[in-house]
Amino acid sequence: MFPTRLLRSSTVNASEIAHFSRLSAEWWNERGEFSFLHKMNPIRMQFIRQKLIETAYDEQPEEAVNPRKVGILQGLDVLDVGCGGGLLSETLARLGARTTGIDASESNIAIAQHHASLDSRLTDNLSYKHTSAESLLTQSKRFDVVCSMEVLEHVDNPVMFLKTCSELLKPAGHLFLSTISRTPLSYFLTIFMAEKVLRQVADGTHTYSKYINPSELLQFFQTYHSQVPSSESTANQSRPWITRLYNGEPTRTEAEVRGMIYNPFSASWILAPRGAWGAAECNYIFWVRKPALDGISS
Amino acid sequence: MLAISTRPAASRLLSKAQRFISTNHGEYDAVIVGGGPAGLALASALGSKKELQNSLKIALVEAGDLSKVRDWSPQAGTFSNRVVSLTNASQAFLKDIGSWGHVEQERTAPIQEMQVWDGVSDARITFSASELGVPTPDQGMARLTETLNLQRGLLRHLQSIPDVHVLDKSKVQSITVDETPGSWPLVHLDTGRVLKARLLIGADGLNSPVRSFAKISTYGWSYDTQAIVCTMVHSPRGAFLGPNTTAYQRFLPTGPIAFLPISDTASSLVWSTKPALATALKGCEPSVLARMINAAFRLPEISMRYLHDRILEAHEAGKPITDEEIKAEILWREQSHSIDQTSAYSSITIDSNSGIPPLDAEMVPPVVSSIQPGTIASFPLRYNHAETYTGEGQGSRTVLVGDAAHTIHPLAGQGLNLGLGDVECLSRCIHGTVLRGGDIGSYTALLPYTQERYLENHKIMSACDKLHKIYHTSSGPLVQLRSVGLEVLNEFDSIKAAIMMSAGSVSKTNRVLSYNGDVRAAMFDMAAKGVENIGKAAGVAQVVRGGLAGIAVNALQNLAKAAPAAAASSQGSSQGK
Repeated sequence: MFPTRLLRSSTVNASEIAHFSRLSAEWWNERGEFSFLHKMNPIRMQFIRQKLIETAYDEQPEEAVNPRKVGILQGLDVLDVGCGGGLLSETLARLGARTTGIDASESNIAIAQHHASLDSRLTDNLSYKHTSAESLLTQSKRFDVVCSMEVLEHVDNPVMFLKTCSELLKPAGHLFLSTISRTPLSYFLTIFMAEKVLRQVADGTHTYSKYINPSELLQFFQTYHSQVPSSESTANQSRPWITRLYNGEPTRTEAEVRGMIYNPFSASWILAPRGAWGAAECNYIFWVRKPALDGISS
Repeated sequence: MLAISTRPAASRLLSKAQRFISTNHGEYDAVIVGGGPAGLALASALGSKKELQNSLKIALVEAGDLSKVRDWSPQAGTFSNRVVSLTNASQAFLKDIGSWGHVEQERTAPIQEMQVWDGVSDARITFSASELGVPTPDQGMARLTETLNLQRGLLRHLQSIPDVHVLDKSKVQSITVDETPGSWPLVHLDTGRVLKARLLIGADGLNSPVRSFAKISTYGWSYDTQAIVCTMVHSPRGAFLGPNTTAYQRFLPTGPIAFLPISDTASSLVWSTKPALATALKGCEPSVLARMINAAFRLPEISMRYLHDRILEAHEAGKPITDEEIKAEILWREQSHSIDQTSAYSSITIDSNSGIPPLDAEMVPPVVSSIQPGTIASFPLRYNHAETYTGEGQGSRTVLVGDAAHTIHPLAGQGLNLGLGDVECLSRCIHGTVLRGGDIGSYTALLPYTQERYLENHKIMSACDKLHKIYHTSSGPLVQLRSVGLEVLNEFDSIKAAIMMSAGSVSKTNRVLSYNGDVRAAMFDMAAKGVENIGKAAGVAQVVRGGLAGIAVNALQNLAKAAPAAAASSQGSSQGK
């Protein structure tokens, strides 16, 4: 079922892939196993929209930005790593992105392709590939935006995975990740309640020890430097992706952490405001921007 | 399986938005079934959003010929018999989508004051726009206009929106869906066209075909009541009384009768009464109906009962009561109640056009002198609420708005306002989904719509239902209790609230997405959401506990409990039918 070339790459976990392959038919059942993800998708997209508009305002004259434009991702190459059934990929494509969704599970890709074929608006700019992020590195294509939602907590070697995602970005590209913090609260909500008590999520979906805290992501990108082709710069090192933290928070232009809180009364997710206390104790979404070429330290 | 003919409009659109036109010309993002006010308003709302241009392809399907509505040109001074009351929130919404400007303003009239009283005890409450704190009291607490005027305005607005294709004279023959899971519904029209819908919207009224396709069941009952409507002609109110901007409603045990001003000399009637009586009244000369309307706002309940019996007897005998006979009967009843001939409560001899009006002139509507010919009609009243507003399984990608989702007793004039509330919420929901790249036909995208509207509609629907039932009796203890209720507890708060219909709902349109990273704003939003949810949870708890499901009229329910026998009989008699 799994091509050996995928298993050889270091971040894909065979048993995780087997788990999601079993569930793949369920991806588009909005009331089933993945209903939480369906409901989470709008706020992920809201965050992606917000950050792209915010950076556009930072870099372009005020009047050149239309914050209410639908096709906010028009003309951008976007990669969705671990696309699953294509929940996020389809929404990215609808906002105009030339979207590539990749997943290590062949059955997920089949489901995603089938579902996208039902919607004629998606035919032009959405494609899926059964491959791993690592194998994309061997190709020359790089992306304006790389998204990987609820994937980090399922990979084997997160550092390697983060590096791969980072290297797949063009300079000044955006990396969006969403995952779960390793806290007592997240254990209680995502494993004890969701999997064991309420059984809204299949048992074994999550592994507590694989959860990653926002501070660990921030730390990683504080020391992470883009690989710079030596021909383009005399200095071997670019600036780190996050130059420094202020009271544990990155600057708005470099990175951002936002909590995502499920409200059981309205059965919907809320994107917590920036810096909201305790909001990122469970689910959170993370954005970081690759330094532009001119950001290379001289 | 699709047999699609090329549309004449296709070439125009191809040049306009080539990349959005799929090979399949019958594919639409939204197919709205029903060209009533709710369907037309939804098409306008979706089509008028600038930023949604070219990202939504909309079709509106209507069985009737809409050109008749578009070209409707009534004679000056005459009015159609179907009028709607638009709350300020509804008007603001129509302004927001740009349709209100197309509604002929000369054919709308503000309600600046309402007088509502108990037909048995005469306990009365009055509320006026200025008391209610309406920001612009001159504009009134609501505006009345003919349904046709509103529909025509909406249609004129739609003519300027290229994204909306109006397919009239097209009846929905069937709605099907392919076996493949996740397929989109196919709407087969009697013109041979087949429309494939990402989202199928049922704005198709009480017997909604879309609702049957989605297999959404409804619960409800018939009220054993017919509403007589007509356009009433009367003299203008004299200089001492000011303009004709007061709406009157009297709750008789047979049902409420309402006088709704639409111009200085014309007003619209909605008289809910027993079906037999409605038939008998419609069988008489129009002048008899005019006299009975005047009497129904003036004479004590016992005399109304007597007059009703006389009309029914005459009708059953095959000799409808004549104008002379009814005039004599009313005159005799006025005299026996010692109603002063100069009082406003006398409708037979009063000459409202000259001199100083009587002191109590504002207590009752102007005397109706005649009925505009050809405007008398009646329709049965029902309470109906769909169990949900969105379809699932085989019926997924469907959503209901307006009368397809709920029908209501017209006593508070809220039917269309609830429908426009649905439309406002659904269009906001669709807008937000499109901006986030979502699929507008998906269950997840439509969930907030059902969540927001269901309880909101249910509250007002059950408030109106309770009011109808509680006033449907003339039994002593209950009348006393409800009159105390009317005067002291002022339970009309729910109706007041219904008429005001949370003016705040409009500002939500601007809240689709907040882009500014303003933490405080977002915090307030969250806090507000939290409070809202606590409120909702409490509301649900009350519904469950109460069983009778009345929230706004809880106080009344408590009163009813105090008179168990009367309450039981009233509930029993009205629910059993």
